[in-house]
Amino acid sequence: MLLAVPPNSTGFASCIASVVLPGLVPAEPLYFSLDEKLLLASLIAAAGWLFWRRFGTVLKRILSARKDADFRLFPLSRRFWDFFREVLCQTKVIRERPLPGLAHALVFWSFLAFVLVTANHIATGFGFGFLDSSGFFSHFYFLFAALFAVACAVSIAGLFVRRFIVRPVWLAHKDHTVSWESGIIAGLIFLLMVTYLGAFFVSDQSMAARLLWWAHTLTLLSFLPLVPHTKHLHLILSPATVFLSRGGFSRIPPLANDDDFGMVTGRDVTQLTALQVYSCVECGRCTEHCPAANTGKELNPREIILGLRGYLNEYGPASEEPLLGRYNSQQAAFQCTTCGSCEFQCPVGIEHLPVIVGLRRGAVNTGEWDDDHGGKLFLALERNGNALGMGQSERDKFVAREELPVFDGSQEYCLWLGCMGGYDPKGREIIRSFVAVMRYLGASYGVLRKEKCTGDPARRLGNDLVFQQLAESNLETFAQNKVKKIVSICPHCVRTIAEDWKAYGTPPEIEHHSEFLARYQSRLPKNGENSTDSTGKTVFHDPCYLGRYRNVYEEPRSVIRANGTLIEAERSHERSFCCGAGGGLAFLGEEQGARVSETRVQQLVATGAATIGAACPFCNTMFRDALASRGDGAPQLLDIAQIAAAALPRSTPESHDAPLA
Amino acid sequence: MSTVLVFLEAKSGEPTRISLEALAAGAKLASATGAVLAAAMVGTANGTGFSALGAASAIYALDHPLLAHYTADGYTAACVQLISRLQPEFVLFPHTYEVRDFAPRLATRLGRVLISDVTGFQADAGRVTFTRQLFQGKLNGQYRAASPAPCLISVQAGAFRADAPTATSVAIETFVPELDASAIRTAPSEPFRAAAQTVDLSSAPLIVSVGRGIKDEANIALIKDLADALGAELAASRPICDAGWLPMERQVGSSGQTVAPRLYLAVGISGAIQHLVGMKGSQCVVAINKDENAPIFEIADYGIVGDLFEVVPALTAAVRKAKG
Amino acid sequence: MKIIVAIKQVPERDVRIRIDGAGRWIALDDVEFRMNESDAYALEEALLLREAHGGEVIVLSAGPERVGQTIREALAKGADRGIHIVSDTLADYDALGLARLMAAAIRNEAADLILTGLQSDDLGLGQTGVILAELMGIPHSSLILKIEKADTGLKVLRELEDGWFQHIEMPTPALLTIQSGNTKLRYATLMGIKKAKTKELRAVPADSLGVAPTPVVLLDSLALPSRQKTTQILSGTPAEAAAALVEKLQQEVRVL
Repeated sequence: MLLAVPPNSTGFASCIASVVLPGLVPAEPLYFSLDEKLLLASLIAAAGWLFWRRFGTVLKRILSARKDADFRLFPLSRRFWDFFREVLCQTKVIRERPLPGLAHALVFWSFLAFVLVTANHIATGFGFGFLDSSGFFSHFYFLFAALFAVACAVSIAGLFVRRFIVRPVWLAHKDHTVSWESGIIAGLIFLLMVTYLGAFFVSDQSMAARLLWWAHTLTLLSFLPLVPHTKHLHLILSPATVFLSRGGFSRIPPLANDDDFGMVTGRDVTQLTALQVYSCVECGRCTEHCPAANTGKELNPREIILGLRGYLNEYGPASEEPLLGRYNSQQAAFQCTTCGSCEFQCPVGIEHLPVIVGLRRGAVNTGEWDDDHGGKLFLALERNGNALGMGQSERDKFVAREELPVFDGSQEYCLWLGCMGGYDPKGREIIRSFVAVMRYLGASYGVLRKEKCTGDPARRLGNDLVFQQLAESNLETFAQNKVKKIVSICPHCVRTIAEDWKAYGTPPEIEHHSEFLARYQSRLPKNGENSTDSTGKTVFHDPCYLGRYRNVYEEPRSVIRANGTLIEAERSHERSFCCGAGGGLAFLGEEQGARVSETRVQQLVATGAATIGAACPFCNTMFRDALASRGDGAPQLLDIAQIAAAALPRSTPESHDAPLA
Repeated sequence: MSTVLVFLEAKSGEPTRISLEALAAGAKLASATGAVLAAAMVGTANGTGFSALGAASAIYALDHPLLAHYTADGYTAACVQLISRLQPEFVLFPHTYEVRDFAPRLATRLGRVLISDVTGFQADAGRVTFTRQLFQGKLNGQYRAASPAPCLISVQAGAFRADAPTATSVAIETFVPELDASAIRTAPSEPFRAAAQTVDLSSAPLIVSVGRGIKDEANIALIKDLADALGAELAASRPICDAGWLPMERQVGSSGQTVAPRLYLAVGISGAIQHLVGMKGSQCVVAINKDENAPIFEIADYGIVGDLFEVVPALTAAVRKAKG
Repeated sequence: MKIIVAIKQVPERDVRIRIDGAGRWIALDDVEFRMNESDAYALEEALLLREAHGGEVIVLSAGPERVGQTIREALAKGADRGIHIVSDTLADYDALGLARLMAAAIRNEAADLILTGLQSDDLGLGQTGVILAELMGIPHSSLILKIEKADTGLKVLRELEDGWFQHIEMPTPALLTIQSGNTKLRYATLMGIKKAKTKELRAVPADSLGVAPTPVVLLDSLALPSRQKTTQILSGTPAEAAAALVEKLQQEVRVL
């Protein structure tokens, strides 16, 4: 900027002088000519017009989309809390990418700090500056803002280097480019800060002060129209997106009416979805954590959202053009394991799962999706009531052989077997172990005479018809048998019963067996008391539907700690990497690219654990196959129920303890 | 004296095995009801196939050019004429694809209903009831005719043991039905075998499937020997195909093929659910595994607990020996 | 092409079999009903034919009120309309009587093609279709895997034993019984169910068809098979076990 100063000796000298002695407040011209004021006014008008021309269009698209039938603004407390944490405190931004996250947060906080400074800056141009340069508050505030300006300038420079020089893969688009506009925006932000800070080093009367003032103003006014044209639209939209989110994790909205089959065309894009789609900041966190994107599949959650944005830009929300077509592919939509990493990670409040499941609903509810394995799965659910297409009699035989008491309404717990517990040999082992623990504790439990699949795979694959039939039929069974409390070994069953069935009735209370086991841990023997074979170093794999979906992380770990040494995989807790089974994918055919299960098993084996602790029969079955193809020397795979049961005395008496209260 | 008439099916002029089983069933029924046994088969009276029907005391060769190829219309018309001439008490058929096709039509023309796929009968004080399976064999039903003769029955394969063929001592009578070419409405073409596709496990009648227990790619040959001896298709569980030891198209299970053979011989397969889902429709499951607790034994009809490297060669040898 | 698909509602395949109090049929309380499996394939073939050549698919079924559920399922999968022969006493009819009822109900439809499944999952007689063809005076073929339109009528692929197949040509109208498993069944969709609500489902009381239930064959009694399936472990040395297995394969399984 200094180079742009005309060779005016006075100005130049004063400029040099002030560089030596920085002031406590930034310099600003003392007087603006009428010409300058008119110029400023017209520039503001032009910038405002350019801003609105684009932003108005976007806003109109969002508002003209279909209303979210189930949207409820109240209670507001959750919304304010989310807004406070995610927007003001930038928790999600910082937590997963601490350094760039902090840099972003500093830029954001600087923007907040600059609201007052900028308002004063523009007002000064019209002679209405309100921050009195001699006042105490002004002194304090200008320096306060200056601190942020330094932090912001350093941060934005760092982010620029990261995006354009280091360039992590997930920041890039499909074609490996990064958006050049963000470079310009970064430059403008840097310039804003520099021109603010520069003004501390010049005197009010100097030409430099005037030039810096105008430079700051012009930067600001160029920034404004760029915002709605770039991903920096999130500056304006994402606070609203976070505030207005549907709430709940992976919440699948109910179908609005008889003509709603999910997301088929633009007409099915709701206001919230449109708002979220335009809020995407293309940070790629969703993609970075996506098990499909990480194993060479077409699915890339960011591209799903940007695809939808492309659709809305081209066709708008009133279009009859199918959503799965030019901008999003059916193949990608059906590669999602619904692990929820994307939605969990998203810092701007985008809910990916309602979109991905919504696209699947549109394809399945209309019969568009034609997949051999998927068709077989739906027919098995239709005809047999379980995902495996097994005969109910197979379950009866298992129940009889294991002498499981039948639930008759008098017992405390209804033990839900689920498809895996009822039919899968490995799932049955888990049930056997869990039952041994329940018997040891003297728990009062029984199993239903008849169960159907909870509908989880149908729900996630978007088959509302089968899901509804299964949910209603099971709810009726629960009501007939007066079930009050359920315990299940399957996180998918737990989630589906507890949350998804709500669309069709009031499900009984349900918990996962890890929660049960953790509660009674103190009454169970520890490993070593009754047997010598400790599970050794055990790595626990957090099932998506237990961790991210239910926020249960510590309970299964407490079972492992009591029986061995718990170690953690690099990806654990809410960052856990999917086993590949969710979203109905356990029942579909070959995967594109590498297998998710094998990728995850590799991560778990790399910990050097002797045992992999699982808490979901689907994870278990996926890992079982993946471990089998690794050959001998692979760690053993045990469910936490098996780990707990191994510690029981060899011959378990019918009831060791007094019955559970 | 009443008659039990058995219609036999011939292949290349010779009665098929299941036809001889039907003849044996007919003989039993005739002796239980005090009837005479008559046999009928399409062909010319001097054909060698007729000479082995010694159990029957009357033998008819249904001889007409329009019967050279099977058609429901032709066979129905021919049988109706023979039945109306002989006025039998019972008419027995082997339960074959041909019989399933025309016998219900024949029965309808006679105002009767075929009691199909019969596995046995009881003759008690002049009342004969026939046993047939309902609900895929989960229930047995006793059926009887509620109308005057004839009563038509088809006999399930393997339900009766075929007697050793005995030479005939009676003259074979040629029966030439009156058939009108225009009354035969269907035009069959030559039967053909499906072209050898890549691998179609789903229609294979016999499958030998191998799992992790095989340990090494080189050992696959052992299993292939057994499959060859049995004339079975070779299949595998997912880890084997993942390892590239057998091509993906031979994978049975939820992410592979769904099969329903008459025999599924699982070697070294423990029985993960993904695998079971693909083969649970098998009529007979045989498992060979060293782990007696392997889940595959839960669904197997026959099991051998042992080292597959010892059992499989022994089995291959035994199969070869049995086949001669 | 106007196609009638005769479908049957049967107890679900893995139903727990208990004989009812009167000893005449299985106890139906707590039993769920499904579309008979091979009938589902017949319906699929009909829908494919209509998609290829146009026309109408009419589903026909007989039984008590609950059968309406299965007809609606067929309508949801794409059939155009349904005919329900309503009777609570269908067991009084034998296969011939039932086919007479069906013939009477569709006599005026003048369909080009009648399709039905190969056999039912419950009774497994495998005859009703063929009987219906004889009653209607039209040609038939059973165990059909594929249907093509030919100049003179139809060209169908029939399954023979042991991996053999045969093409058969025949004029229309004709009746075909369809083998399971050759095509991929479509799943029921929400959209289909919603559309089905507006489709015609005509209820025809069985009494109104003028067919008396005078069975020529009676189901006298029922019994549960004594032998339940269990795993037989063949023990001994490898050679002994192998020999025992070969004997089983010869005598019991009959695959050698």
